[in-house]
Amino acid sequence: MTVDRTLLGVAIFIASESVFFLAIVLAYVAYRDAGLATAKANLDIGRTAIFSIALFASSGTMALAARARSGTWLGATMALGAIFLVGQGSEYARLLGEGIGPGSALFGTTFFTLTGLHGIHVLAGLVALAALFTANLGRPRAVRAVAWEAVSFYWHFVDAVWVVVFSVVYLGTLL
Amino acid sequence: MRPPADAIGTLALIVGVIASLIFIGVEAALVYAIWRYRASRNLAGQPATFERNRRLEIAWTAAPALILAAVFVLTLGTMAEINGAGVAPAMRIAATGHQWWWEFGYGGTKTANELHVPVNTPIDLDLTSVDVIHSFWVPELGPKMDMLPGTTNHLRVLARRAGSYEGQCAEFCGVEHAWMRIRVVAQSQAEFDSWLAAQAVPAVTQGGDGERVFFLSNICVNCHTVRGTAAAGTAGPDLTHVASRATIGAGVLPNDVARMRAWLADPQRYKPGSLMPRVPLSDADLDALAAYLGALK
Amino acid sequence: MTAIPLWVRRPAGERVGWLRTVDHKAIGVLYIGMGVAFFAVGGLEALLLRAQLATPEAGLVDPETFNQAFTVHGVTMILLAVVPLLVGFANYMVPLMIGAPDVAFPRLNALSFWLSLVGGVVLYFSFLAGGAPDTGWFSYAPLSERAFAPGTGVDYYILGLAVNGAGTIIGAINLSVTILLMRCPGMAISRVPLFVWMTLVTSVLILGAYPALTAALVMLLVDRQLSGHFFDPAGGGQAVLWQHLFWFFGHPEVYIMVLPAMGMISEVIPVFSRKPIFGYGFVAGSSVAIAFLSFGVWAHHMFAVGLGDTENAIFSATSMLIAIPTGVKIFNWIATMIGGRLRMTTAMLFAVGFIAMFVIGGLSGVSLAVVPIDLAVTDSYYVVAHLHYVLFGGTMLGIFAGAYYWFPKMTGRLLSERLGRWHFWLTFAGFNLTFLPQHWLGAVGMPRRVFTYAASTGWGPLNLISTIGAAILAIAMVVFFVNLVRSLRSGEIAGDDPWDAFTLEWSTTSPPPPENFATIPAVTGRRPLWDRKHPEARDKS
Repeated sequence: MTVDRTLLGVAIFIASESVFFLAIVLAYVAYRDAGLATAKANLDIGRTAIFSIALFASSGTMALAARARSGTWLGATMALGAIFLVGQGSEYARLLGEGIGPGSALFGTTFFTLTGLHGIHVLAGLVALAALFTANLGRPRAVRAVAWEAVSFYWHFVDAVWVVVFSVVYLGTLL
Repeated sequence: MRPPADAIGTLALIVGVIASLIFIGVEAALVYAIWRYRASRNLAGQPATFERNRRLEIAWTAAPALILAAVFVLTLGTMAEINGAGVAPAMRIAATGHQWWWEFGYGGTKTANELHVPVNTPIDLDLTSVDVIHSFWVPELGPKMDMLPGTTNHLRVLARRAGSYEGQCAEFCGVEHAWMRIRVVAQSQAEFDSWLAAQAVPAVTQGGDGERVFFLSNICVNCHTVRGTAAAGTAGPDLTHVASRATIGAGVLPNDVARMRAWLADPQRYKPGSLMPRVPLSDADLDALAAYLGALK
Repeated sequence: MTAIPLWVRRPAGERVGWLRTVDHKAIGVLYIGMGVAFFAVGGLEALLLRAQLATPEAGLVDPETFNQAFTVHGVTMILLAVVPLLVGFANYMVPLMIGAPDVAFPRLNALSFWLSLVGGVVLYFSFLAGGAPDTGWFSYAPLSERAFAPGTGVDYYILGLAVNGAGTIIGAINLSVTILLMRCPGMAISRVPLFVWMTLVTSVLILGAYPALTAALVMLLVDRQLSGHFFDPAGGGQAVLWQHLFWFFGHPEVYIMVLPAMGMISEVIPVFSRKPIFGYGFVAGSSVAIAFLSFGVWAHHMFAVGLGDTENAIFSATSMLIAIPTGVKIFNWIATMIGGRLRMTTAMLFAVGFIAMFVIGGLSGVSLAVVPIDLAVTDSYYVVAHLHYVLFGGTMLGIFAGAYYWFPKMTGRLLSERLGRWHFWLTFAGFNLTFLPQHWLGAVGMPRRVFTYAASTGWGPLNLISTIGAAILAIAMVVFFVNLVRSLRSGEIAGDDPWDAFTLEWSTTSPPPPENFATIPAVTGRRPLWDRKHPEARDKS
């Protein structure tokens, strides 16, 4: 069995990113009790769940895109990712409007840091998707198969991180 | 109970002897190898070719493990001992770190930078900080313990002989970390009791010019307390009995009227970065203020 | 004519400037150049500190300057000198040692270097932007919060370390993929040279540790710039969280700095003993053990924080455990020398010096794992002495061993042995004079990071000795620098294999051609070049 260099590199990168997110999530959990009341009162689980479904669905469309090297599915993935970010943005706007920001109290500090860092990763993923999309528009044959796999790998990772973040931050308020 | 510093000393001696023996053994083996097998000796024959010996390797893995296991057991014993080993403290003193001085509280009676304790008495210090992390360390009294804002730590200390002990802050706490010294005075129970009684009474002030300067423009009184007067600031050391203390500025100067005057004239000269500002006062005001503080025995 | 040309040839033959090169050897040289430059700067900072501390209550520098100097000294030596030096040698040597034409991702490799360098530049820019960070290299909160560090120094610290760390992480990905996938035919993972093993283990440590630092830095940045409360006790945060995250990075970082140096002397000692390494499996395996354990010992930096006896006991136990695989290596190196024919070249002197000094750092390290002893001496000069015995007596002596060993391969010229001996003995004397007395200073009560001390403490004489030692150490470094410059210009021509060595980097020319090997080698043992030179006495493994 031969392992592709690029995929191994991406896998190792994702492993180290996981340590990064683990540290941030642990900080969130360490301060969970201090912010729980604010979280319960102010987070909109239902709405965020809908936007989360968009992100989870984008993993599916990404898999289809990678399998068929399909620009159309790739476009759908980007659209779903963008919808998720719009949802995040509107959640932020609402919270900030209610006076909850990164500086207001521990909940705001940990919430905006954790979800914000995830959002930045989604954005980076969208950039990678867009680069792949553009390359694929030009000369599809010149795009190596591993590029599809690598981008898809990273996108699934970003999605998986949100599974954890959504569970800890949003579903955690139901406990 | 045995003074914590003694318990640590014994453990350090044992660990030190073990470490010295290992050190001598390893260095001797190294020197022997260099001396015996140096190429310049023109040894006959080819160099050896062995490259493993499982038994030997297992042995030299197991031997340190056994030594360390023994050290660990001793560690656990000493850890329990220095925490008091079930002996209740005879008294508790609150010690609070400030940038860059110490506050010591005996019930409601507060003093600064000079910790008085009765000799041969187990005492627990309740350590905290109002700003950054400090660490209380008087080597002859016991181990050190950090003072964290928002948390209270406890440290068992015991002074074995009467007299004074020196220590200082051990956790880097900002610009004047170096001049955050502690002076500990260990006294007989009777001397300690009379010292504490003297500290507890409000200041006996002469009033006059010095007191007028002290209350001038709310400068001194903003930060300092002199019990018995209206001065009730808490950002700086309690000055009710400042003249009874041996040093100024947490150790930066010996305490007498002349040096107090110099300190008041320009604290930044002696302790640059100190939170006590330079207040422009006339020579006469400085004289009066130094005399006023010098009378706060 | 100098041995290092102003351009780097590519396999195709065209010239590429240093700014655009993606050749692993050129990038290795860039890393080493960065390390040497920052080592010099960090050394000057150390001299300033020692000059101020030579006498009690001295006023050579003001406290702000002193505090900036020791903060930047620590960050510089650890992240901008030692790590780049080690990564530089790894970059240069690993592909050669495993018979590969380059690293797995040459362009990413260049990115790693430039990020590491830019991180350093950002940190130093703070001096021009209103003051360097002055909160110590581990920058404990809340002292590093905006309330107590209102200047921009800590912000530059955060940005500099994050950017530098990103470079280091990318470099670790590159090196680990290279080692895992690009070994030449026959080079099983059980046959790679020990320096390569150590580089692989170090890469894994970097990948596990640096992201925790990045996370902590991001949180501190949120606190400082967005008024967050992660480490702000007044806002409900915990100062100790920073310490947990920092030391979760910080302790593996120690092994990140020590293991590659151990790898270097594991190459040097066998070659100059004319014997294979004793217990290859134990040396490699013990490094893996160290790597695992190093993620479980961080709180031994925090015994005085008041975590509780149970926590302290657990971390005391793990910290003692990690001494075992570390000690094993020392026995292995000495056993390698036993029965050999030792050529005491400068490289070998430094390798032996590593063992002699690292033992002291290792034993004082064990004493710091003993909780009550730690509570007595932590945050004192005892710790300063300990960490310098590990990082200078260990790592830096190992790097010097590697430098004398590999300089001929990298430049085609030998370093002067005569100057090398001066360099070694001055270093040995200066180092011990500087740091040995600091054990006593710490034990009797001198805290670390004090810009001065009261004359009444009686700490003056030992501090003066320490400062004299530092001056000797500085002279030793000047000798080394002279040796470097002179040998680059007019050193003895080395030839391909001046040491009659064992590993593949010596099978190609000095310096190696852009493609490293005319034909990719195939190997059958741990000492491929030995096997080639002695077909009658091939290694069996």
